Amino acid sequence: MRLPPLNVNVWQRGVPLLHEPLLTLPMVGLIALALIGMTLASIRLCTGLGYFSGMTDVYAWGIWKTFNVMTLTALGSGGLGVGMAAWVFNRAKLHIVMRTAILTSLILYTTGLVGILIDIGRPWNFYNILLPWRWNEHSAMFEIMVCMPVYAFIFLAFENLPTVLGRLSYTGDAAMRERIHRWMPRLRSIYPYMLAGAYLLPIMHQSSLGALMLAAGPKVHPLWQSQFLPLLYVFQAGICGLAFVIFTLLASCSYWHRPLDRDVLSELGRAMGLLTLVWAVIRIADIAVRGQITEALSLDFYSILFLCEFLLTLVPAVVLLAPEARSDPRTLFNMTMLIGISGMAYRFIPTTVAYRPGARTYYFPSVAELFIAMGLISIAIIAYLIAVKRFAVLPAPLSEWYETVHDLEPDHKGVAQHGHPTHH
Amino acid sequence: MLTQHRSTRVSIGQQLKAAGISRRTFLEFCTKLMVAAPFGLELTDKVHAQEVARVIRKARRPSVIWLHFQDCTGCTETLLRTSKPDLGELILQIISLDYHETLMAASGALAEKCRRDAMEENFGRYVLVVEGAIPQKDGGVYMKLAGKPALQVLEETAKGAAAIIAIGSCAAWGGIPSADPNPTGAVGVDDIIKNKPIVNIPGCPPNPYTLLGVVLQFASNGTLPALDDKKRPKFAFDRTIHDQCPRRPHFDAGQFVKQYGDEGHRHGWCLYELGCKGPDTHAGCSTRHFNEVVDAWPIGIGAPCIGCTEKHLAFRVPMFSVVPIHHAVPPDTYPPVHAEMGKQVSPLATAIVGGVAGLIAGGAIVASKRVELTVHGKAVEVTDEQQNRGPRS
Amino acid sequence: MSLVSRRTALKVLAGGGLGSLATGQSAQASEALPTPPADAVAMLFDSTICTGCKACVVACTDANNLPPDTKMSGGIWQMPLDLNSETKNIIKLCQDPAKPENFSFVKHQCMHCLDPACVSACPFHALNKGAKGVVAWDGSLCIGCRYCEVACPFEVPKFEWDRFNPKIVKCEFCNHRLKEGFEPGCTSVCPTGAVVFGKRDDLLTRAKARITDHPGRYFESRVYGEKDAGGTQVLYLSGAPFKSIGLPDVPQYSLAGYATSVHKFLYKWMLIPAAVYGLLVAIMRRRWKVHQVTAAREEAETGLKEQL
Repeated sequence: MRLPPLNVNVWQRGVPLLHEPLLTLPMVGLIALALIGMTLASIRLCTGLGYFSGMTDVYAWGIWKTFNVMTLTALGSGGLGVGMAAWVFNRAKLHIVMRTAILTSLILYTTGLVGILIDIGRPWNFYNILLPWRWNEHSAMFEIMVCMPVYAFIFLAFENLPTVLGRLSYTGDAAMRERIHRWMPRLRSIYPYMLAGAYLLPIMHQSSLGALMLAAGPKVHPLWQSQFLPLLYVFQAGICGLAFVIFTLLASCSYWHRPLDRDVLSELGRAMGLLTLVWAVIRIADIAVRGQITEALSLDFYSILFLCEFLLTLVPAVVLLAPEARSDPRTLFNMTMLIGISGMAYRFIPTTVAYRPGARTYYFPSVAELFIAMGLISIAIIAYLIAVKRFAVLPAPLSEWYETVHDLEPDHKGVAQHGHPTHH
Repeated sequence: MLTQHRSTRVSIGQQLKAAGISRRTFLEFCTKLMVAAPFGLELTDKVHAQEVARVIRKARRPSVIWLHFQDCTGCTETLLRTSKPDLGELILQIISLDYHETLMAASGALAEKCRRDAMEENFGRYVLVVEGAIPQKDGGVYMKLAGKPALQVLEETAKGAAAIIAIGSCAAWGGIPSADPNPTGAVGVDDIIKNKPIVNIPGCPPNPYTLLGVVLQFASNGTLPALDDKKRPKFAFDRTIHDQCPRRPHFDAGQFVKQYGDEGHRHGWCLYELGCKGPDTHAGCSTRHFNEVVDAWPIGIGAPCIGCTEKHLAFRVPMFSVVPIHHAVPPDTYPPVHAEMGKQVSPLATAIVGGVAGLIAGGAIVASKRVELTVHGKAVEVTDEQQNRGPRS
Repeated sequence: MSLVSRRTALKVLAGGGLGSLATGQSAQASEALPTPPADAVAMLFDSTICTGCKACVVACTDANNLPPDTKMSGGIWQMPLDLNSETKNIIKLCQDPAKPENFSFVKHQCMHCLDPACVSACPFHALNKGAKGVVAWDGSLCIGCRYCEVACPFEVPKFEWDRFNPKIVKCEFCNHRLKEGFEPGCTSVCPTGAVVFGKRDDLLTRAKARITDHPGRYFESRVYGEKDAGGTQVLYLSGAPFKSIGLPDVPQYSLAGYATSVHKFLYKWMLIPAAVYGLLVAIMRRRWKVHQVTAAREEAETGLKEQL
C-alpha cells in the first residue's frame, strides 16, 4: 500500500467560533421569522391546507414541496458532493471542509423533511411506511418518503456525530471524554459502511425527486420532460451541493473575517465545474436526441427560460475551468452564485413554471405559505449559526485551533504553537 | 246621495241605473273582476261576465262603514286610482258607503251621527272596513276619534258588523305604525276583535280588486271567500310574487342586477340580489299591476319588492337583505370546458417574493464586493526533516 | 493509488448514462398497451347525442351522497365550475364564441385508465385499480401528498382543501351500485343514451360501429380512450375536436409506464443499488484504511491526533 508522504496539513482542524455571541441582531430577526413561520405551520396542521396556501387542485403542489424539498435538498447535497469528491475520488484536500458540507446537508434535509410533514394532508396515515406490504415500490414519491428520512436521520446524522461528540468532549467532564474516546473506535469501524450508504441513498432519492415529474408526462414542457430527469437531477444535486458549500464557506469566512485555504476552494470549484460540464453535455444530448433543438431556439417564453437557465449554468462552469478564476475569491463567489441559482432554477422549473395543466389557471404562493417557507429557511440558518459558533465545523489553521480549543483538550501533548511538531 | 239611509234597500242594479252608469261600463268592470280573481271566488266562478253582472245587479247594496285609524289613507286612494271605468264612482254605486272620513260630505258631529245611524239601521248586516292600525298602549290614547280611543270605537262598531275587512297591512297586522320599536303598541284588527269573521287584505296598498271581490261576494250571497291561515283571501294571496314574476326567466338564468342603473338593470334583470322579497311574499302584484297600467308595480319599474303584505318582512327586514329561496329551480348555464381556476394572487405575496429576491440579489452583490480573504498560498507546509526522510512504508 | 481511476469513473458514468438513455427510448417505443381486466366495465359517451340536461350530474351527487356545490349561485343551486371535492361528474359546454350555433356538451369524470398514472404514483396504493377495473380511493392508506393530482393527465382527482380530514374525491364508477348489480348513477338516468354503460369490449365495438355507420360525423373517426394514455375505460366519441372538449392530447402509451420504466429497470430486486453499495463499500474500506494508517503515523510523528 503506497502511502502519501507525511505532511502536516496546517488546515487539519475545524474550529468553533467561541468568541462570537449567539444572540445578534440578525439572529433575533431570524428567530422572529422562524416563530411566525412555525406558528402558522402549527395552525395549518390543525386546519385544512387550503386556508394557508394558494394551492388548488390544478396546482396541487405549492412551494413547500417544490422549493423547500426539491430545491433546498439539492443545496443540501453538499454531503454527497464533497463526500464523494473527497473519499471516492480521493481529493484529500477536501476533508477539511467535510464538516461544513455535512452540517449544511443535515440542516437542509431536516428542514426539508419538516416541510414535507407540513405539506401532506393526511399525516396520520404515515405509519403505513412501516408496513412493507402496503408499499408501492414503483412510486417515486414512496422512494423519497423512505429514503430521505433514513438518509437524514441515520446516515447523515452519523456523519455529523463526530462534530457533536467533539463538543461534548470540550464541554463535558473527564468521564464523558473517557466514554467518548472509548466509543470512537467502534464508530470508526463502521465508518466505511455508513459512508457508502451516505452516498448511495442520496443518489437514489435525488434521482427519484427527478422521477417525480416524469409521472406528469405531457404536462411538463418538453424542454424539461425527459426520461433523463432522474440522472440530471442527481448531477444537479451534486452541483448545487458543492455550490452551496463554496458559498457557505466564502460567505461565513468573509462575514467573520476568517482565513480560507485557496487551494481547497479551488479544488471545490474544479469539482463543481467539471460536474456542471458533464451535466450540460447530458442535457444538450437529451434535448438533441428528443428533437427539441428547434423548440429550444424558438424564443418563446419557455425557450428563453431554458436558454437562460442553461447558459447561466454553462458559462460560469467554463469560466471556472481556469485555475486563476478559481483561486480568486470574488470570481469564484460570483460564478458559484450563478451556478447555484441556475441549478436551483433547473430543479424548480419543471415542477411549477414548466408545469402546464390543462385548465386556464394560475398559482402564486399565498402570504402564509411564503412565511412558512421562510420560517423553515430561518430555522436552517439559525441552526447553522449556532452550529458553527459552538461546534468545531469551520476550517481553521492549527494555530487558531491551538488558541481556542486546544486548552480544552488537555491530553494533547507535545504539539507546540504554530503547528510545528515538537521532536520527541 | 251617498248617505241616504234608505239606500240599502235598493239593489245594485237599480242604483247603477239611477247613477247613469252604462251596462257596458259595468260589464267591463265585471270582466276585470273575473280576471282579478279567476279562482277561489264564488262570485266570479262563472263562465261569462254577463253572468257575474247579473248576479251582482240583483244583490242589494251592502252598507259599508269604513273606519280610519293609524293610517295614511293610501288604501282608500288605491281604490280611487282607477280610471277605466272610474272605479271610484263605480264602487260608490255598488256599495253604500255610509261612513268614510275622507269621502263623506259630512264632518264633525254630523259624521258621527251618520255612523251611529248606519250602525243602528243595519245592525248585524253591515260590513266594517278598517283601514289603519289600532294603538293599544296607554289605553289607546294615541289615536282618538271624536274624543274616544280607537280601541273603543272599533269595539263599538264591530259589535254590529256582519264581517270585518281589514284593508291594508296596517289593519291586517299593524303595518308601519307597528315597526320597531312600536311606540304606540299598534296592532291589527284581528289582535283585538276575536268574535267576528275577519278578512285581512294586507298590502301597502293592496290591489283594489281584492277588496271588491270580497265585498261583492258578500253582497251577492253573504259568504266570505276562502281564507288562508292568516285570514287572507286565498284567491289573491295563495301565491308568491316570485311564482308569477315576469322577471322569473332572468332569475332562472342567473341574470341578476347587482346595482341600480347597471347594465342588467337596464335590461330588466331579476332584482333578487338587490333584496327583492318576492320569493317570500304572498300577493298578486306580479299579475295584477297597479293603477291599471301595465308594469306599474315595484318590480316592473325596477325597484325590488319590499314584501309589504308580510308581517315578518315589511318594515322589519332591511330592504336590501336577500331572502332565502324555498323552492329552487336549476339554472340553464354551463361551465366552460376550461374554467379559469386558481386563487386570487395576493399583492402582498408578490411583494414579499419580490422583496426577498431583491434582498438576495442585493446581498449577493454586496457580498461579492466584500469577499476578502486572507488565504495561505499552500495548504501544506512541509518541514525539511520530513522531506529528507521520505515516505515510510 | 485510488481503487477507481478517474478514467474508470467517467466510463462508468457515461455507460450508465447511455444505458438509461437506451432503456428510456425503448421504453417509449416498445411499450405494449396494457391489457384490460377480463370483466372491465366501461362507459361510452357520445357528445353528439348529449343535450346537456345534467341529469347525470344530479344522479351522481345523489348516488354518492355528495353535498351539491352551490358556491357559484350563493347557496341556491348546484353550479360547479369543474370537478372538485363535491363534484365527481360534470357537464361542460364547449361553444365557439364567434359561431354560437357550434357547440358541444361534454361529460367529465374519472377515465379509469387501464394503466393509471395515479395508481402508479400513489406511494401506498391508496388509489388502486380493483374489481372490474374501477380505480378507487382508500382513505386508510392515503397520506394526502397529492401526487395523484400531479400525475393524472386528465386532472381528475380532487382534494378537499378546506377540511382538516381531506379526502381525494373522484368518480369511482359507483362501485357500491355495481356490487349490487346496478348501473352507475349517471348512465342510469341519461335520457338520450349519450352515456351508456357496459363491458369495455362491447362498448368499443359499438363505438366503432357507430363511426362506420356515420362516416364524417366523429372527429378523427376514432374512439378516444381506445389507446390514449394506454387505454381508458371511459370511451369518448365526439364531433368537435377532442382538445376543445377538454380531452387532452395524451400519448398513445401508458404514462405510468413512461414514468416507471427506468425506475423498474434500475431497482429490479434492488440488484443495481446493492451492486453500487458493494462497490462503494469496497472503495471506502480501502480509503478508510489509508486514512487510519496515515492518521496513526501522523500522531506518532507529530503527536497531533486527528480531530474526532
